[in-house]
Amino acid sequence: MTSFVVRKLIVDEHNELFDAQGMRYAEFPSEYGRIRDYAAAVLADCPEAFLEDGLLEQQLSEIIKNGIKHGNGSDPAKKLRVWFDLRKRARFIVEDEGEGFTNLDSWNDFYRRRQLALYRQDFDEFLELASYRGPKSGPDDGGNSLFAALDYWNGGMIYNAARNKVGVVRWFGSGR
Amino acid sequence: MDRFLDYRELGAAPDGFIEYLVSGDCDLYNAPAFLKALMARLDSGERRLRLDCAGLRYLDSTGVGAIIKLLQTAKAKGGEIRFTGLSGTPRKVLTLCNVISLIKEDARDRR
Repeated sequence: MTSFVVRKLIVDEHNELFDAQGMRYAEFPSEYGRIRDYAAAVLADCPEAFLEDGLLEQQLSEIIKNGIKHGNGSDPAKKLRVWFDLRKRARFIVEDEGEGFTNLDSWNDFYRRRQLALYRQDFDEFLELASYRGPKSGPDDGGNSLFAALDYWNGGMIYNAARNKVGVVRWFGSGR
Repeated sequence: MDRFLDYRELGAAPDGFIEYLVSGDCDLYNAPAFLKALMARLDSGERRLRLDCAGLRYLDSTGVGAIIKLLQTAKAKGGEIRFTGLSGTPRKVLTLCNVISLIKEDARDRR
C-alpha cells in the first residue's frame, strides 16, 4: 500500500537549528547579480563529498536568492547574513532584513494540494500546480525551489517567528 | 566562473520534432531568455520540441520554472515537449521537486 506523505514548512523560533554557536559567519550586500558567487564563497572549503556535483551550491543559492530577492528586494544596502557549519554535515542559517515569508501558511496549503495530485497520479492537475505563485512572485520566479528544498534538507528546514530567517541541515551518507 | 547557457536549434528530426541542443547553466540569470526564445517558437506555430540536455550542467528553480511553463504552454496548444540526455545535477533537481514525473524522455541515440 502506498501512503500519502506530505511535509510542511515549520515556524519554530526556539528550534535548535537557530543555535549559531560555533558556526562561521559571512554577510553580503543584496546584489541579485552575485547570488551564485555568494553561495560559491560560502562553500569555498566545503568537503568534496558534500558538494554532490553542484547540488549543494544550487540548493544554497536558492535560499540566498529568496533572502536577497524576496526578503531584501535586491537592495544592496540591505544585508544577507549567513551562518554556516560544514563539519560532519552541511548546516546553514540565512537571515534577511525583509518582512518575512508572510505567505508561508498558504504555501503549505498549496504544497499539500500539489502533492495530493502527484499521489493520485493526476498529472494534468499536477502540471497546473507545479509552480507556486504568491503575491510577491515575479514573472521570472520558478515557484518551485521550496518543493525541492523540503526534500533536500533532510535534517530539517525551520523558519523563525518573523519568518525572515531559515535554518537548514543536510546529512550525507551514513553520517545521519 | 563562466556561467553560460547555449541553446541552438538543430532542425526537424524524422519524427517531426524540432530539436534543440541545450548546454551550460540554466539558472536565474540565463533561464528567462531561454524561456522567451522557446515560447516564441511555440507561439510561431511549432508544437513539438525536443530538448537534448546532455550538455546541461546546472539547473535551478528558475530553470525548472521555465521548463514547467514550456510544458504548460505546449499542452495548452496541443503540442508536446520531449527531452533527451537529462542526467547529473539537473536530473536530481527535477527529481527533488517531482517535476521529473512530467518529463517525457527519448533515448539520445534515437536519431
